[in-house]
Amino acid sequence: MVDLQELRDEELASLCQQGEGHYFEILVRRYMQKAFHIAFNFTRDPETAKDLSQDAFLRAFANIKQFDGRSSFYTWFYRIVVNLCLDHARRHNRVTWESLDGMSEQSGEQKQLADSTSAPEQEAIAGEAKRRADQTLEAMPNKQRTAFLLRNHQGLSIADIAKVMKTTEGTVRVYLHRAVAALRQSLMEFV
Amino acid sequence: MAHRKPLQSACKTFEEDLVLYYYGETGDDERRRVNQHLAECISCQGFVEDLRRLLPQIAKSAQMPPSFWDEYYRETVAKLAQQEARKHWWRALFAPRQIWMVPAFGTVAVAILVVGLLFGKGNLNSFMHRTSERIPQEILADENQLQFFESMDLLESLGTLEKQDDHNADSTNTQSSRVRQQHAVA
Repeated sequence: MVDLQELRDEELASLCQQGEGHYFEILVRRYMQKAFHIAFNFTRDPETAKDLSQDAFLRAFANIKQFDGRSSFYTWFYRIVVNLCLDHARRHNRVTWESLDGMSEQSGEQKQLADSTSAPEQEAIAGEAKRRADQTLEAMPNKQRTAFLLRNHQGLSIADIAKVMKTTEGTVRVYLHRAVAALRQSLMEFV
Repeated sequence: MAHRKPLQSACKTFEEDLVLYYYGETGDDERRRVNQHLAECISCQGFVEDLRRLLPQIAKSAQMPPSFWDEYYRETVAKLAQQEARKHWWRALFAPRQIWMVPAFGTVAVAILVVGLLFGKGNLNSFMHRTSERIPQEILADENQLQFFESMDLLESLGTLEKQDDHNADSTNTQSSRVRQQHAVA
């Protein structure tokens, strides 16, 4: 008996293409956290991130027959998530960074940043550094931010990011370097 | 603040390579070259160290509780089901479990047709009659057929004339016999 959880993404996608749509639920469980976190990195709002990432699953399922297996499923799916996030950013123009201050998750993050010392001063500095990093990311061109978030936050390889962004690996390297340089510049005084 | 120190500047020619080196995205040759340089350059060592301290902290994201993911999964699966239902609503009409509806639809369709013929066209006989009447009209449109029907008319006319002739002949014979009878009486 084959353990469904052991089926590869592409095998599950193929089953969905043959009309066995319920196998898509395994892909949802497999990628829901990653999809949510990509959207959260772009939007900084959990509700919006939830809506966008769920919408990405709906679109992926509706267009599953267009997945031709030339790229990996997650590359194809990440592209859908990123496109939705970029589209959302374009429509809303500005990410609601201000709401971050009042979020319980955010204060948790700040604590994590300061866990090594737990001194109040360290905590404050970590919080300010995090805020500055978020602002710098917000101000970045979309392509730089996308390349940085996919590499730094999601751990995708440059080759996969190039596939998601439909560009060359050389271009991704340039985006990544510029993003890191911008962050380094903005955090010069905090680290 | 003793713990705070400025980020290290890297050699400009190595900066991009150092970022890729940090992410493990350099090839073997590049990595050897960067390692050789790092062994000699304190500034670039500090730069890589700064990236190691800074970038993982930025990457930290919201930590959601397990209940959030349970709800997320449940909602997503429900939305997928709704999307499928909307997409294939018409299939549901002809789903196997509703196969009994096919003869029912057929009966209704026949009933509508009959009612339409009876009331829409007056009645079925007149409709059929009109249909049969239209045929000669269509045939007459053809020139050859027109000539044929004209000759048919002619033949009918000839028949009438012959009948009239016969009738005339009969009446003439009757008159002649009457005259002969009158003469015989006289």
